[in-house]
Amino acid sequence: MNRTVSRIVHTIASLRVAIVILLLLAIYIVIGTLIPQHSAPEWYRETYPNIAPIILALSLDSSYSSPLFMVLVSLFALNLGSCSLLSLKGQMKQARHDYFPPFSSSESQIESVSLADIETYCRKGHFSIVRGAEPEKFKAGKFRWGVFGATITHIGLLVLFVGGLIGNMMATEQVVSMLPGNEVSFAEEGFVIRLDDFYMTFEEGGAVKQYVSEVTLLNDDGSEREETLWVNRPLAHNGVKFYQASFGWTGNLQIVDRETEEVVVDGLLRSGRTYFHQPSHLTVYLYGYYPEMAIGHDQQPLSLSNRERNPYYAVILYEFGNPIGSYIIEPGDPIIHENLSITFTHSVAYTGLLVRTDPSYPIVLTGFIIILLGMFMSFYCYPRFISFSGGTVVTASRKNGWVFANSVRTALQRIANNRTREE
Amino acid sequence: MELYQNIENIAFTITFVVYIAASILFLIYVAGITKRVERFAIIATIVGFVFHSGAMIARSIGAGRLPFSNQYEFALSFGWGIVLSFLILHRIYKFSAIGAFVMPLGILVMGYASLQSRAVRPLMPALQSHWLTFHVGTAILSYGAFALACGIAVIYLIDSKRSGDRRILKDPEISDVLSYRVIVFGILMLSIVIISGAIWAQKAWSRYWAWDPKETWSLITWIIYAVHLHLRLRRNWRGKAAAWFAILGFVSVLFTFVGVNILLPSIHSYAT
Repeated sequence: MNRTVSRIVHTIASLRVAIVILLLLAIYIVIGTLIPQHSAPEWYRETYPNIAPIILALSLDSSYSSPLFMVLVSLFALNLGSCSLLSLKGQMKQARHDYFPPFSSSESQIESVSLADIETYCRKGHFSIVRGAEPEKFKAGKFRWGVFGATITHIGLLVLFVGGLIGNMMATEQVVSMLPGNEVSFAEEGFVIRLDDFYMTFEEGGAVKQYVSEVTLLNDDGSEREETLWVNRPLAHNGVKFYQASFGWTGNLQIVDRETEEVVVDGLLRSGRTYFHQPSHLTVYLYGYYPEMAIGHDQQPLSLSNRERNPYYAVILYEFGNPIGSYIIEPGDPIIHENLSITFTHSVAYTGLLVRTDPSYPIVLTGFIIILLGMFMSFYCYPRFISFSGGTVVTASRKNGWVFANSVRTALQRIANNRTREE
Repeated sequence: MELYQNIENIAFTITFVVYIAASILFLIYVAGITKRVERFAIIATIVGFVFHSGAMIARSIGAGRLPFSNQYEFALSFGWGIVLSFLILHRIYKFSAIGAFVMPLGILVMGYASLQSRAVRPLMPALQSHWLTFHVGTAILSYGAFALACGIAVIYLIDSKRSGDRRILKDPEISDVLSYRVIVFGILMLSIVIISGAIWAQKAWSRYWAWDPKETWSLITWIIYAVHLHLRLRRNWRGKAAAWFAILGFVSVLFTFVGVNILLPSIHSYAT
């Protein structure tokens, strides 16, 4: 029974399984980049009539959260974990100061080396020397702890997987649109965020240089914190992070009764939205706002930039649901409809803040650091060994053997040359 | 501004011409027609590299930032990274023949750069970060190293069919070892590219990983080289198969750089 279990564990931990899973993961990920993600099922049925059933059955429309993907990642994590555990014992043995590998390679032999020279090399290179009974024979090793490099990298990957899993389960995300003066409450976290101002700065050519939101955080304990956030400068408060994510325009809609001169409507209407004026069954649709309007090749209005240099509104009116007119008007220009005067007086930009809570990020960051540390150890601090006997040096290193032997040969040559010069 | 653009254009053209000359000289050297051209090939590469650096400096001064932010600028820097990797390797190991297989890759990337728009555009808000320099800087080193590994792998494949003095590098073991060293450096840099990208994405877009095609393909490249290294270190997997894997890895690098931009919609769209 134990032998069977051991065989299964060794199979799971084997390199062959690791390579197969990694290649399957790579292929799966490639497929995920080729199939557009998160579209409606109908879209897949129309676009890929032949393979849509497979896409939907395997959840390839959301490849990176599909059960198949989770199984592959879990198998890979299992493989990594068991491989690391199984190889740890051997690595511990190899890290001991008296461990030496077999020195057999004829290619890594360096002849006619004096004891003094090789001792100088070992001392300068911080090798730890282990001598036997004969003083002219010794072995030396360096970077023995580098043997843990691969395991540390694997642990880093496992930490990353744990972080990803926690993120998948616990992270929350929403976008809030706010006009200056708007407040959004975060009751559980004990604060309210208020937008004080939102504006854009521009490059010379009109491209947006930066989107800036000035906010005040009003804590339940009465304290306040004023902050400014922009793209690449998120704001963290009580475990919630705010990101400058988007923006949009609103136009200030004013409807005046021409007979009484009474302002019956005065409020902000978002570009692309409608306002229904019930008394006259009139719908005002703000089709678009063009801060720097021009007419495109297709004779449609477009905006050259978001600078308010030549502002126009495109408006469509409906009565009882039927279109009765479309207009391109400047701010303040009235549209007269029966006894009503409809005007967009000015525009106000609103900010779109992405609000995210994700407790996994510190874990993921730790995983990143461990991976880099492990890789560096593995690639550049790999164990190196030297055996010296009867004027012959033999080098040994599982990784980079040729390079190590070459570097020892070059260094010994240099030491010998220096010694000759001094003599 | 215009002055710097003119300097950049002239330096770019000279670089291109000199790199072609260097490649021809390297090919003459490798073909064994005359060995005396070796020195001139190296000198031409260094001269081209100086002009290449000059073009990048002029671009940097003209744009007021490092040339890291669109397809032209990255291709310019990528080519620079390839030639830099070759010159560093040459300084350490003096294997000039590698130039015959690496310089054409540099020319290929520079040729791609020449097809792109050179207009200096201001950085969009998402790119205004110190992470840009670090993220793209390490990408240049990583991709440069992978190009070099690809060139060395081609040498290995050619040498494996030849014997003795007809080989480009006397000992195929050498090209195998060099390929390993270069790939190790490349994958470490690629890891830094992916990690710095993730940290930056967390700041700019709120998520450290969003399965965007660009980042996904860089992960695929990482997996290819990781498999390569595991097979090499654990299974002593060398020779032709390892060489083909190094070439496959570089194809993945090129697809991540060019293919993703053309074929797959990406949040990295500023890189077009």
